[in-house]
Amino acid sequence: MTAVLKPTLARCLWVAPAFAALAILITIAARSLVGMTPVLQESTLLTVAYIAGGIGFIVGIGGFDYWFTWMRGGELDPNDHSQHGAHSWGDYFKFNTDHKVIGIQYIVFTFIMFLVGGMFAEIFRSELANPGQQVVTNQQYNGLISQHGVIMIFVFMVPVFAGIGNYVIPLMIGAADMAFPRLNAVSFWLLPVAAFTLLSSFMFGSFDGGWTGYPTLSEQSGYGMTLYQLGVQLAGASSIATAVNFLVTIIAMRAPGMTLFRMPLLVWANLATSALVVAATPFIAGAQFMAMFDREMGTHFFTVAGNGDTLVYQHIFWFYSHPAVYIMILPGFGIISEVIATHARKPVFGYRAVAFSSAGIAILGFAVWAHHMFASGMEPWLRVPIMLSTLLIAIPTGIKIFSWLGTMWGGVLRMTTANLFAIGFIFTFVIGGLSGVMLAVVPFDVSITNSYFIVAHFHYVLFGGSIMTIYAGFYHWYPKVTGRMYNEVLGRWHFWITFVAMNLTFFPMHYQGLEGMPRRVADYAPQFAWSNMLISISAFVLGASTLIFVYNMIHSARHGKKAGANPWGGLTLEWMLSSPPPIFNFPATPRVIGGPYRYGEEGAKHAIVPEVEPATVETTV
Amino acid sequence: MKTIKVLPLAIMGVVVGIVISVLLVITRTLPVQASAESSDIDNLYIFFLGFSGIIFGIVVLFLLVSVYRFRARPNDEREGDNLHGITWLEVVWTVIPFVIVVLCAIGGLMVLRSGDVEAQARTSGQQIHVLGYQFGWKYGYLNQDINLKDQQTLVLPVNEPVIFELESQDVIHSFWVPAWRMQMNATPGQVNKVSTTPTKIGTYDIVCAYLCGVGHTGMNTSLPGSIIPKVRVVSKSDFDAWITQQKAEAAKAAESATAQTTTGSAG
Repeated sequence: MTAVLKPTLARCLWVAPAFAALAILITIAARSLVGMTPVLQESTLLTVAYIAGGIGFIVGIGGFDYWFTWMRGGELDPNDHSQHGAHSWGDYFKFNTDHKVIGIQYIVFTFIMFLVGGMFAEIFRSELANPGQQVVTNQQYNGLISQHGVIMIFVFMVPVFAGIGNYVIPLMIGAADMAFPRLNAVSFWLLPVAAFTLLSSFMFGSFDGGWTGYPTLSEQSGYGMTLYQLGVQLAGASSIATAVNFLVTIIAMRAPGMTLFRMPLLVWANLATSALVVAATPFIAGAQFMAMFDREMGTHFFTVAGNGDTLVYQHIFWFYSHPAVYIMILPGFGIISEVIATHARKPVFGYRAVAFSSAGIAILGFAVWAHHMFASGMEPWLRVPIMLSTLLIAIPTGIKIFSWLGTMWGGVLRMTTANLFAIGFIFTFVIGGLSGVMLAVVPFDVSITNSYFIVAHFHYVLFGGSIMTIYAGFYHWYPKVTGRMYNEVLGRWHFWITFVAMNLTFFPMHYQGLEGMPRRVADYAPQFAWSNMLISISAFVLGASTLIFVYNMIHSARHGKKAGANPWGGLTLEWMLSSPPPIFNFPATPRVIGGPYRYGEEGAKHAIVPEVEPATVETTV
Repeated sequence: MKTIKVLPLAIMGVVVGIVISVLLVITRTLPVQASAESSDIDNLYIFFLGFSGIIFGIVVLFLLVSVYRFRARPNDEREGDNLHGITWLEVVWTVIPFVIVVLCAIGGLMVLRSGDVEAQARTSGQQIHVLGYQFGWKYGYLNQDINLKDQQTLVLPVNEPVIFELESQDVIHSFWVPAWRMQMNATPGQVNKVSTTPTKIGTYDIVCAYLCGVGHTGMNTSLPGSIIPKVRVVSKSDFDAWITQQKAEAAKAAESATAQTTTGSAG
């Protein structure tokens, strides 16, 4: 009985529907009072129910308990840490303010979403395996590809980096937690709401306009499209709140002695990413609000019939969605710097150049959005400056790649699974980067844009880039998080199968695109039959390889051999704590005395962690 | 242990890269070149493959040699060199990519400029209105003396520049003719212009490249059994004959329509 009153998932089960029902009643009352017909407008009622239900879920899980107590003048204990840290399994399913718990919540939840999004891909790959149409209808096909893209981007790739950052960043900078722990927890719990909103659109025929959801097609779609617009806003809100949290944490909560240039590169990467998120994400939220108002409230931002402009949506959408590409790769770059330096036992080559290239990418990232629109019918002159800025962004990216090669050269490479993924990442990401340079050049881009060449390019960047870095990070910090080692043999199998299958899946797509196969189609000309069969088989193998990873992670958490505090010999602060770290991280504030990558330097240390807090000198009054 | 010289390895990387480039160029799957712009764009692509292969070759060779040469032995407790960077090397690997992207930009701008035949087309070539709809295309021949519109087929004379004025009556479509290396969206509410010069007589596929709803897959003339006609590029005399025939048919249709209206009102 008490379980449904305490802040738990059980309470969500009644609070969320209660909020939704209340919102529906208020709407019906308001509509009948002002005489709107029909009173029971289905899409309006659903929309208010979804919005209120989402808020109700956050209330139910306990997101606002502390604030409510304060507002009604209740008693608050500033030293109440009952919601902090995981003491049992159940704590992972509750509102928790510990950044380490939130990190794990993020990572596990988003990875499940990765499996769901991957499943959608496997379904439409089985449709594409043979010419003709056998498995799904056109409508279902469009729904599946749209869900695949949206789930992967908004509830896997963007938030999984927030999860890794959540766990690692406060440890790396010697902080006790994130700056705003409750906001941090609310950001996480917004994600299940976003995911539910997006996935439940299948009940209404899903959204079917691709992950981009351009009007005017989005105006024709069923109710699922509104849920896409709502879901993207929710995920965006989560992402903005987390980024604000990271910015404040990184700027204000670094341990004494940790100057900007003593920060580990993952911290640099997260700083740049968070700045990008805060500045860019409001644009997609705005675009989705306007598009949703067009659908549900009869406004005319993008409706041609009402003198709206569909091209404006594309500009606003990409003003976020191109920086989003960097939001999905910059933290990955940071992970790679950590992994390669630690496993090559060598300082990161050109630390400052790598740090500044993150900042450079973040700034230039705002000036390249329209390269997604070379064939959109925008002003022709705009294509030239956008082409130039897009080409320029290859330079900071190149600096990073070469710096990692320089880091490995002359090191002592421990070929752990984490390092294998980092090395594999360089291989695949270079391919995605080079095709990106090609696509920056306007005449070439307009000759093959919206073809499978594009699909190949962004899967090399997002799978060959982001996902490889995510795996590298998972393996690298797994011993820190669980206190146990993963199984290296299984890890190696996972790497090799993923690496080979990934290339066999996505490389042939370049050829298909050049030859004239458009993207987002459920059927194709006979000449593409054998290559599509090859791609589908590889995609199934790629999907299966994930199961090795899942088994390894779950099994090793129980049965892996004990890791100890520092299995890799890392120098950064997180390795100076036990594995898993204590609930309040550091027993006393650490002091940073040098750079983070002083490998090969006799007896060098990055920081000192005192055993206990030195007794503070009582100042006499 | 023997030290490995970096420069000879880089040169070897270039050689490996050239082999990769050649392989990529040989296996490229571009459609037939059927417009004046296609050879320029294809040459641009070959240039891209050239430098991409070389960069890829260098990166992969250094990766593999590092893994082979600097691999830790079991229970190897050695540390790597305490080397934090070499400024001149970092300058080199910033400048070389800069030069490459400048070359890309110059190449791209040159092709963009030479492909810009819009002005030419206005005075001497064909002006075609393309209307995208769910799910197909309608064409209007704008520089014929009588109004020839709502045609189901696109027929063009060879070696004459053509400017397309694209519109859509419902959602965004994209008018893509891979053999011409040409694509442009048909966006509702605005007219998008794009031009090309067909240089080969034949029939070519028209593909809708932007997701436009349930029928998007079928808006592709390369699908077996597609009912959407391909574009036909014919000789000038065949084109004139076709136009004359269309005009006659249009006139006949207009006549019978008028006749029907008269009988209708009489009845």
